[in-house]
Amino acid sequence: MTSEPTDLPEAAERRMTSGAFTSGLSVADFAACLEMGLEPVGFAQGFCAMQWSPLGSSMSNAMSPYRSTTGGGYSEMFNCPHGFVSNDHRQWGQNYEQTWYESAWHTGFDAALQRMVEEATEAGAHGVVGVVDSQQVMGDGYLLEFHLSGTAVKIPGAPALQQAPFTTYLAGQRLAKVVEAGYAPVGVVATLSSVRMWPFCITEYQLHGSGLSMFATGVSTSEIDQVVRAKSYSRQIARDAAKHALHGDSLHGARVTTSERELGQGEIDYHTVIRGNRIRRFQDFKALPVPQPTVRLS
Amino acid sequence: MSALTPPNSEVDLAGAMRAALAAYSQGPGSGKGTTSDLSMDEELNLHAIGWEPVEFVTGLSVYSTPPMTWSWGQGEISAASYSHEQAFQLAMARLHRQAASVGAHGVVGVEVERSIHASHTEISLMGTAVRPVGAAAIDADHVFTSDLSARDFTLLMLAGWEPLGLAAGASFVFAPRRSMGAVMSQQTQNVELTNFTEAMYSARETAMERMQSAALAMKGTGVVEVKVFEGPMYFASHAVGFTAWGTVVRLREEQHRHVSPTMVVSLDDVDIAFSADTLG
Repeated sequence: MTSEPTDLPEAAERRMTSGAFTSGLSVADFAACLEMGLEPVGFAQGFCAMQWSPLGSSMSNAMSPYRSTTGGGYSEMFNCPHGFVSNDHRQWGQNYEQTWYESAWHTGFDAALQRMVEEATEAGAHGVVGVVDSQQVMGDGYLLEFHLSGTAVKIPGAPALQQAPFTTYLAGQRLAKVVEAGYAPVGVVATLSSVRMWPFCITEYQLHGSGLSMFATGVSTSEIDQVVRAKSYSRQIARDAAKHALHGDSLHGARVTTSERELGQGEIDYHTVIRGNRIRRFQDFKALPVPQPTVRLS
Repeated sequence: MSALTPPNSEVDLAGAMRAALAAYSQGPGSGKGTTSDLSMDEELNLHAIGWEPVEFVTGLSVYSTPPMTWSWGQGEISAASYSHEQAFQLAMARLHRQAASVGAHGVVGVEVERSIHASHTEISLMGTAVRPVGAAAIDADHVFTSDLSARDFTLLMLAGWEPLGLAAGASFVFAPRRSMGAVMSQQTQNVELTNFTEAMYSARETAMERMQSAALAMKGTGVVEVKVFEGPMYFASHAVGFTAWGTVVRLREEQHRHVSPTMVVSLDDVDIAFSADTLG
């Protein structure tokens, strides 16, 4: 167990080290954990409320939808082929990665995760199983609350860990299958990407049928390139971040959720979140017999 | 007792858990990580027939539909059908390229998300790229795509068949206007609106034919797990749409292999089976 100082509330330290354990496991999962030699020691939780700036990393962003690329993320310009038409005509468009939002999200998630792990560490756990995470928008929409919870477990008689306990979204039978298949649970992985699209005239016309009027005759039916690139990059960034977090291990049971939010003046935020379990092979794969089909009579 | 083996097998699950903890303590190895959205059951099914997951892959396309496309007219709304076809093909091509770039031979468990708007059609495909264990990379043109689960893919292969790709067909049709006289005379009656019924039949025939043509182009002998979606368009109530897609299959061996399933009577009470509300 690590001896590093934690920022746990004193009451939490007392509660986690008291005699009776608490657990978020169902009775079935509890039984399966006992079968694996895992003993629940406490219901660990972590919270973090994060605020992010709607203006991004610079006050100059308040003056223009254009974002500089100094944040180092993905950014791409789209130029109007028509020249100056009117003040309303969108002569340029841009897709850009909202690195400051991604940073706030990851900081909030990681802080809540670390706090949950600290509680488990305090209780002498080797791992946290059945992790559940949730996020809620608070207040004016620029506040996000992260909440992670799971059941801290230990293996009686096993040596104390020199690092933080492992974490996994799995519990019960599903965790047993992973372990029996020769994989060790390592940690929960969650990544988010956020790409904002400021459409230029062609995209605006293709999406909404507005913004081009007399120039519309020159626009053919085609793929809406700016949207495709924004969405594709959003997925790629989230996937690359997840792979980066693996350090050579594997991601199992990945769940991808995508969402989009239309803001004013045709701007759209595209978000991609990937969650999954980081696992590490600890024994060679043993080939299974070919599955035998069955028909259940009921 | 263990989760994977029959009740009488001697498997030391607690010992395996201790070994897993030891591996965790030693830190990361030098392996080449894979990503997958498969459950462990699905991954074990794949391994049992000599396949393995490689990478989680996606492909998408957003294709425009010209303004005024959905205004009143007659017959098929060709521009909308064309947008759907193009979006599906472009999304599929991207999925194939991504799968080929990671050395996969196919993509299983593809989740098809589709949204049709007045101005554009969006198709999104996500799945896990797979290959025979240790097999060399192949060209993107030869990568198969399937919306069958890894379990169904395993069963299909065991029966001597193989998936070739996803075939899709779509058609959007205007429901002809009723004459003013017909509207007036039908207003107080329970009556079938044959213009809508006929439009739906027309869209159905065209879409199914397109899907079957796509299957034939892949040299397939059939399409399994066909999904159909039909109904009026939310933004144009005088138009109906019909879309269908499924996995094209072909006999891989000389003849179909009978899998001869064993009949079982489960003594389990489903209500007390192990369950986890977290990711599986």
